[in-house]
Amino acid sequence: MPIDWQPQGIFLALAGLGVGLWLLARGLADYREATRIGDTSTSRIATLAAGEVQVSGVIEPAELTLISPLQSATCVYYRSTIDGADDGIDLRADLTELGADFFEERAVGFRVRDETGDIRVFPRAARWDAPTTLDDSTGLMGDEPPGLRIRTGPALAPTGLGRDVAIAALLAGPEAAPDFRPLLILGGGAHRGIGGGDGRRHYRETTLAPGDAVTILGRAMPFGDLADPAEADIAIGSELAPDDAEVAGDIAEAREAGLLAATPEAAWGNASIPGFGIGQPIRAPVLDPGATAPPLGTAAQASEAQRRFEIPPDALVLASAPDSPLLIAQGLPSAAVERREGHFLLGLLGAILAIASAMALAMIVSGALGS
Amino acid sequence: MNAQGVAAAFAVGLLLAIVLYVAVVSYNAVMSLRQRIDKAWSNIDVVLKQRHDQLPALVSAVRGVMAFEQDVLTEVARARANYSPTEPIPDQAVHSDETTRAVRSLFAVVEAYPEVKSNENVLDLQAQIERLESMIADRRELYNDQVYRYNARITTLPTNLLAPLFGWQQRPFFAARPEELERPATDL
Repeated sequence: MPIDWQPQGIFLALAGLGVGLWLLARGLADYREATRIGDTSTSRIATLAAGEVQVSGVIEPAELTLISPLQSATCVYYRSTIDGADDGIDLRADLTELGADFFEERAVGFRVRDETGDIRVFPRAARWDAPTTLDDSTGLMGDEPPGLRIRTGPALAPTGLGRDVAIAALLAGPEAAPDFRPLLILGGGAHRGIGGGDGRRHYRETTLAPGDAVTILGRAMPFGDLADPAEADIAIGSELAPDDAEVAGDIAEAREAGLLAATPEAAWGNASIPGFGIGQPIRAPVLDPGATAPPLGTAAQASEAQRRFEIPPDALVLASAPDSPLLIAQGLPSAAVERREGHFLLGLLGAILAIASAMALAMIVSGALGS
Repeated sequence: MNAQGVAAAFAVGLLLAIVLYVAVVSYNAVMSLRQRIDKAWSNIDVVLKQRHDQLPALVSAVRGVMAFEQDVLTEVARARANYSPTEPIPDQAVHSDETTRAVRSLFAVVEAYPEVKSNENVLDLQAQIERLESMIADRRELYNDQVYRYNARITTLPTNLLAPLFGWQQRPFFAARPEELERPATDL
């Protein structure tokens, strides 16, 4: 009795068609981006002019840094996923968040420095091309991968001020991992994991950290032209926009009802003092007499804090514009172009796969292969 | 049309779509490059104009003390007078280089006059002009790099197939033409 392989054949042909077209679409998008990066000259930061620019340099932290969820690494951007290790096709890169058991992506503002100077980057709405720093699975015996160091504290960390703090951080070894299994909170133990099935998990994390080389393509604009610097700074954050009619109406209503404090001091007390909570306050806070007074910052620390927090309105910054989102890519421009050209070639192979799959599908449907 | 005919049409359509996409991306890339070149040139032009406006103030500030250095001052004035924003770009490059050389000579001579060097007004003007010279150098490099990318793009595949259709020509660099570069006389 002949085997009826038509359903499987049709399924395989459709899968090939879908994957091929997806590879092609990604390759064509990357071809356009490679052209854009390759055609833009890299400007020196010190002599940057307003408008669309490309800069290349090293990441320096600004006011805050992030702690990545899977490696507890200090970074300015992360994208982390935890997924079941044996749940079928791993589409990697762009689609790992689909159906993932855990997915988180965050970024904070940072500075980028080249040999001539530095510039503040506001990454709101940016597109990121970051290297994968963790891509590993739970072992067969349930042992976790060696690079895994689940974050147990807050996601944000203040940036130390000054060279001495940076050197001390570099010299200090990683903190000992606490005897705490955060994955249990997320919903699984070693053998009853969040990935379902046999409990094996796949961990994947991409990060961009201080010290990494990056290429940024976007718009240089005066800081004063940013609609809302606080919003512009957070890449993945609240979607509430202050210019939203409903939000603005709520704020106006609260203000009229006297629900909003008149000054930052009234709202946040000592926390409104510059430097408070980040480094050292630059004026003495009013404390409970029984409390230990924190040490005041020196004049140098105060001016450093001022420089970090107060950007002159005419200083150029890099930020997304409605018609041109920032592209933040790891490495030098040539490396970013090379990666995209590789995707384009893969996309052409995808087109061949799609055509072959369409041919096979047609032959199955017309019975040429089935008879 | 049978199923195989549909598949063949799909294959041809997909290939045509890829070719069309690449052509559109190439066309847009050339248009963007032209805009970037124009912008880079505008950024140079602004600084050249600023330098042109600043030089008389510097010459006036040092003229009284440097009465015996008329040649240097005249050279700066002559180079400045050659500035013309409507000239072709290579000619402007020649005159810009002459002005830079004249300004450098002036700064070198100023070193010999302690009373000029200690004048705050002169120091301030000198710092401003040095900043402008540095900006001209950096922006010139950026402009020339952008022109290089444009010229390379319209002469390489696949964009060179579109260049004759749209009449794209190579753009000039902000540099003196080779025949205008003077060779220093050597007498061995």
